[in-house]
Amino acid sequence: MANIEKQRAIIDFTLASLMRRKGKNAALLVVYTLVVAALASVMFLTKSIRSEAAAVLVDAPELVVQRMVAGRHEMIPLSYIEKIASIRGVKSVRGRLWGYYYDPVFGANYTLLVPQESPPEEGKVAVGQGVARSALAEVDNIMPFRTSQGALFTLTVARVLPAGTELVSSDLVLLSAADFKTLFGIPDGMATDLVAEVSNPSEIPTIAAKIARLLPDTRPIARDEILRTYDAIFNWRSGILLAILSGALLAFFIFAWDKATGLSAEERREIGILKAIGWDVGDVLMMKLWEGAALSLTAFVTGVILAWLHVFAGGAALFVPVLKGWSVLYPSFRLTPSIDLMQLAVLFFLTVIPYTVATIVPCWRAATAAPDSVMRG
Amino acid sequence: MIILNQVSKVFNKGKQNEFVSLREISITIPRQQVTVLKGPSGSGKTTLLSIIGGMSRPTSGRVTLDGRETTSLPERFLAALRRETFGFIFQQFNLINGISILENVMLPAVPNGERHAPLKGRAMDLLAMFGLEARAATRVELLSGGEMQRVAIARALINNPRVIIADEPTAHLDSKLSGELITIIGRLKQEGRTIIMASHDPLVCDAAVVDNLVEIRDGEISDSAPAK
Repeated sequence: MANIEKQRAIIDFTLASLMRRKGKNAALLVVYTLVVAALASVMFLTKSIRSEAAAVLVDAPELVVQRMVAGRHEMIPLSYIEKIASIRGVKSVRGRLWGYYYDPVFGANYTLLVPQESPPEEGKVAVGQGVARSALAEVDNIMPFRTSQGALFTLTVARVLPAGTELVSSDLVLLSAADFKTLFGIPDGMATDLVAEVSNPSEIPTIAAKIARLLPDTRPIARDEILRTYDAIFNWRSGILLAILSGALLAFFIFAWDKATGLSAEERREIGILKAIGWDVGDVLMMKLWEGAALSLTAFVTGVILAWLHVFAGGAALFVPVLKGWSVLYPSFRLTPSIDLMQLAVLFFLTVIPYTVATIVPCWRAATAAPDSVMRG
Repeated sequence: MIILNQVSKVFNKGKQNEFVSLREISITIPRQQVTVLKGPSGSGKTTLLSIIGGMSRPTSGRVTLDGRETTSLPERFLAALRRETFGFIFQQFNLINGISILENVMLPAVPNGERHAPLKGRAMDLLAMFGLEARAATRVELLSGGEMQRVAIARALINNPRVIIADEPTAHLDSKLSGELITIIGRLKQEGRTIIMASHDPLVCDAAVVDNLVEIRDGEISDSAPAK
């Protein structure tokens, strides 16, 4: 009980003490909070995007088969379907039609896809939110395209895809197989790639190997490989952002180190007074520990809350151009909050602990000196 | 009773700038009396006070307080001794700026772990005794010299110490305020406290309240006698 009262009294004095240097401490708090907020934003955003991408890819095909010519992805004949379907363990195989289209009017790349289920009627398209925004397209508007022969080809917008799917549908244009082939001049009997369903997922590597043997000009890609690629891409992107932020971080650490390790003459005098009137070294250190903890915990909690608001309420407006999107149409959508507690713990140990320790070290040196210096004014 | 036996203090020992502040001082300071250490600046008064009060250790010699040797106590116990047995009134007051009078007075009691309410009550009683209760929330840097002096005395008394140590307590006070201080010292003596002061101010040295006068010069006792 006495110890609780003692800690309470020390905290009271510490807070009163912090308030005395309002300007200096407020400046430190602001910079500290911004650094935590920036780092936590990158963490939240990367984790959230990776979780969403992974969630979306759960529905991706288990095995994609692409045809390769001279190391490049080529259209694949539908006749390959039968050969692949004959492999034991393959449940079904189908062809997919998809590709990219550069719209010179709006300077944007679209992903064109023929959906397997309920594709739009001929002459109609369904477009993602990003496409609708950039092409100013609404339902029933006409969207002009140029075919591979250079002819004008117009399609009517039948619907705009829901905003919730924007991470993967922002730059998407869904159209019928006939329109797709007309637009790109693809002959019948060809597909962009083939997707296979496998009865037992543990057999995927074996089946992929069999496909590669049976059809040497193809490349089977398993879903796990795509997930790994996305992971690598997002890690790389967040790495770039962290590298950019590292300059700011370094400046902060120099600032914080200077503030934390350098005791002013006034602070030294105060430590001397406290010791002279009966505080022992432990009491003085406890006061400094509370001071460091109060400042760094406040900055940490405020920074994390700011980062949360920035990423999940504000759409990570500051970082999104670097971290999101793989075409020129950046998706705008609300991320589902997804937080890695381990990452938060790392951030905590990288910010709160070093600062708190850095405040104690110089104080310990001053506190272990004899207090008689205060007698001499 | 405080007994100093052959106490010496040497600063920067063994270095080129070695300085002997006290040389084999042996005195006995009686309980519940006012003892003044008198001497010119640099004579060693403040060093002696800081050794008596447990703020520094002598280079050689021993100090005992009511039969208990204090010079070899570990730092933690020495801090407790400073807090519980002694009350200090410094020449420069040494109040902590930026916080209130009340917070300053309560500071020496923080490590005791007392409940806040009774501690605050005791601090307010002390401030009332010195006519400062209405200004309890005022920041100390806004006070006059006399008020600071009274706050410093209130702070020295918060842990109800048996011994009050005052270093040149009238150095920053005019004659009127010095007179008031001597009155307060008389009151503290009546309460049964031991008071040890360092001063070369005749107003203090010649005051009726003083029981013993110890003259120090060049780190040695030149004269020790009951006050006239």
